[in-house]
Amino acid sequence: MMLGASELAGFVRAAARALRGEADLAQFEIYCSSAEDRIARLNYTSDIACRGLEEFKSLQADGFQVRIVMRRDPHEFGTAFAAADLSLDALRDALARARRAAVVDPHFPGLPQEPRKLAARRAGERRGLAHIGDSAIASAAARILAGALATFRRSEASVLERPGLVIGGDVSVIRDRIAIASSGFADLRSDESAHFSASVTALIEALDAKGTATTLGANADEMRRATAMLGRDAVRRALELKRGARPPSASYRVLLGPQPVAEILNYMVMRSLTTGAFHAASSAYQRRFGARVMDPRVSLADDPALRAGAVHRRVTCEGLPARRVELIRDGMLVGLLSDFYDTHRLLTDEDRADKLGPDAPAGPEFPPLSGYRLGEGGGRRYDAGPGASGTNVVMRAREGLDERELLRAVGDGVYIGRVWYTYPINGQRAGDFSCTVSGDSYLIRNGAIAEPLAPNALRVNANIAQVFDAPLAIGARPRSVAIWGSPEAYFVPAIAADGIALGEVGASA
Amino acid sequence: MPHKCDAIEFLSREGESALARFARNRRGVVRAELRFETVFNRSAAATNGEPRESTESETAAFGIAVHVADRNGVVGHGQCGAEVGPIAHRPPKLLAAIRAGLEDAFERARLGAREKAAILKALGPAAKSLAATSDSRARPIRDEIEAIFRRDPRTLKTGELGIAALEASRAVKSLGPAIAFNAVAAMTELRRELFISTEGSVISQAFAFSQGDCYVVAQDGDGHQESYDTIGQQRGFECLAEGWRGELMPNPDLNTFCVGLASEARELAAAPVLKPSEDEVTVVTDPHFNALVAHEIVGHPCEADRALKMEAAYAGRSWFLRSLADSEVGHPVGSALLSACSDPGLDGYGHYRYDHEGTPGRRVIHVERGVFREFLNSRATAAALGAAPNGSSRASEAWHVPLIRMSNTFFMPGETPPERIIAEVDHGYYVCGHQIPSIAESRENFRISARRVYEIEHGRVGRLYRAGSVIADSKRFFINVDAVGNDLRLVAIPNCGKGQPMQVKRMSNGGPTLRSRARLGGG
Repeated sequence: MMLGASELAGFVRAAARALRGEADLAQFEIYCSSAEDRIARLNYTSDIACRGLEEFKSLQADGFQVRIVMRRDPHEFGTAFAAADLSLDALRDALARARRAAVVDPHFPGLPQEPRKLAARRAGERRGLAHIGDSAIASAAARILAGALATFRRSEASVLERPGLVIGGDVSVIRDRIAIASSGFADLRSDESAHFSASVTALIEALDAKGTATTLGANADEMRRATAMLGRDAVRRALELKRGARPPSASYRVLLGPQPVAEILNYMVMRSLTTGAFHAASSAYQRRFGARVMDPRVSLADDPALRAGAVHRRVTCEGLPARRVELIRDGMLVGLLSDFYDTHRLLTDEDRADKLGPDAPAGPEFPPLSGYRLGEGGGRRYDAGPGASGTNVVMRAREGLDERELLRAVGDGVYIGRVWYTYPINGQRAGDFSCTVSGDSYLIRNGAIAEPLAPNALRVNANIAQVFDAPLAIGARPRSVAIWGSPEAYFVPAIAADGIALGEVGASA
Repeated sequence: MPHKCDAIEFLSREGESALARFARNRRGVVRAELRFETVFNRSAAATNGEPRESTESETAAFGIAVHVADRNGVVGHGQCGAEVGPIAHRPPKLLAAIRAGLEDAFERARLGAREKAAILKALGPAAKSLAATSDSRARPIRDEIEAIFRRDPRTLKTGELGIAALEASRAVKSLGPAIAFNAVAAMTELRRELFISTEGSVISQAFAFSQGDCYVVAQDGDGHQESYDTIGQQRGFECLAEGWRGELMPNPDLNTFCVGLASEARELAAAPVLKPSEDEVTVVTDPHFNALVAHEIVGHPCEADRALKMEAAYAGRSWFLRSLADSEVGHPVGSALLSACSDPGLDGYGHYRYDHEGTPGRRVIHVERGVFREFLNSRATAAALGAAPNGSSRASEAWHVPLIRMSNTFFMPGETPPERIIAEVDHGYYVCGHQIPSIAESRENFRISARRVYEIEHGRVGRLYRAGSVIADSKRFFINVDAVGNDLRLVAIPNCGKGQPMQVKRMSNGGPTLRSRARLGGG
């Protein structure tokens, strides 16, 4: 059971009172979180004994973190955390550890100072999702599985002796609450959020077919509605993709669907769009701040208040207002995600001019609007340090085309609906990436979808510039995409690109 | 300083009866398991020659699994994980938290069984595979394993770790303006784990881990190189302060390690980018590069949960098993020179005695003289494969669910000195140090980038290139192995991700020098 908002607030208030009495502290911050992931993980295999609901679990993490700045040196600070125990005894123990662990970092700017009170807003109640129980999650998972099996049973493939039907995926509900007090704030700040994601992969191995379906959102009704369709959608797609083609290695015109665009953004672009990456000289856009880095039709932003978004946050994990950050406007790099330390560090970096490049405006500002303390599941955690992270990443395009027009723009080529294992193969800064086309994909012929593509038949070897610099066309409509292991939700269109090297997997078999 | 080992001792005495009472009083409980851990951790980091952060933490957590059968024998499984922190010191509160966790897991198992029964009723034979699960039996074990260390992580002098990281970072910075950025981290940890099951096992294991990480960005004009690497041992801080001279996995001290990596990055930033090859070329791959090949192309696809399609929606399947009736078991997957195994008994970063289901870990031969033999498994997947459990089911933290994981997974050594393997090459490439993998869904194909690629001309190592990678279909790469070195080395892998949500696990991978054929990717 998660801790209530009033319990978090009560502890933070009492802790702040206690910390104010510590004579050797110049500043302090007390951050308290309660987070819970509830996950029903699916595993159905028609030809292998299986559990159906493979894992039905919860992960609970409550605790607090204290950050202190010593009076004897404004650059000397210490951090410590404790799980579960919201007591003044635990605070005293953490404080002792924070003092022992204190270091003098000459670039430490102190803790965020924002004496004015934040405007009171309703806490992020997510329309029932904050209170949803195990029964609803089990039902959602069962609906997915039952829908998938029923759809498969109605298909011709069901008569196969060993169809190799595999249904995998999960229904996950991620909830968190935080409260934060600081010597730099006049008020106690709190926030809460809840979102769900559900993904299903359907494989019919006898047909060499794979289809997927995903959904994410922020309310319980949406979860019920979406999960009712998810299993049957994934199986239906797999059935459409049976016995796909294996085209040869060559350079292709491709239409990247929303999932591949989101995956490339997640692994290749977003990590380059932080003040930390520029300071570390590891951004793919090093020396290009203020310059055109994408097609002029493209804009990219992170929006924690996006109405249609899945992840809603009004306060960062540093207690500052979470706001929309415009990253790329009309193809120009105009903003970076940042936390408080990294903002200061880049602005005081003696090599800043070189790192940002000649097009950077004089006196750029990188407000710390994106400092979150996140765990592996994307929930806010008491034991993580603040780091720049996105929430709802939205890509929009001027002159965007509908799907039919996008296919016409490609003419002959490949529609890539899903990629897998996208990594910066030569480091983040080089922008080179490699991944494999793992499902939901087709050949495009004469501007229309033609025969399906076999899953895992092609490897993509490309650079982000080939995708985003001068695409053939960009879709008009962003679609929601969840990326495994990513804290961000993506809302992105399809993008058509030319000259993408696709290498045949298994050509040597 | 007090630490939380008292909770381990308390639960070693009281946990078994608490679990048994719970199982007796709840209808349908087939079995229940409790995993509990305490972790004392110190870490420090420095960037660009200046201190960045330092922490000292004590954590405690548990994970619970309950397996329930309904009246018709339909089995459901429920889990619950929670971090309990300082309340681990207070037995009544700790027991109360564990009881609440047992109730949650029990309820989930019941719900799972109920939903499964409804699907079976609605679909009948169309869902028959759901009805037929059972786990391999477990032998009750009672054992206690101590951690090995000279410098106890709990009593290390405050600041010593920070000084080590700071000095290494300063030494890297002093290499000059070509080093654009560096970050050095040092960590030492004492982890104590307890496993209790209603089947009669009570196992306590302790581990000491110490680890150093270095990340460097070097620039030279328009050339740039990002390099990172890790050293780590299941030992105390001594392995970072003084280096480690173990035969399989030696490492220099933290300072020497970081300066070596940074010097290499500086040299690479000035080196030309490798041009991709159109066709296959001869490649000689060093032990550090082969560690990532062993990890991605042997280790992961040898995990039985992947092979049995349980990871199909996340990390993919296995090129070693298409179906139970059509697999590579007993068939050649590589040259007769090639063998590979996982061995948790070795003194590597992936060492352990028992897995998190209480099964003893043992050496698992994956590939024997080119022929595929055995998967890593858990109790459930062993039953599905008709194999004996081999003790490979482990969670990264107690609150996570155990998954099938590598231990120390590596290519086994041959007899040829690496110098001779290179000297026999008329024209080819010497591929050294792994960087980043990109792997096909069943790991049947890969592109793995290297830190350094040297051209070999007439048996001699020549020009250095950066941004090179090896691209190959896995089976063909293994079949083409025509030389295996006698220089087996293991490498500490600190961050293998798997599961939903992602669990990050430590392990070792490695191998000797290998020679094969592959395409080369460039920048």
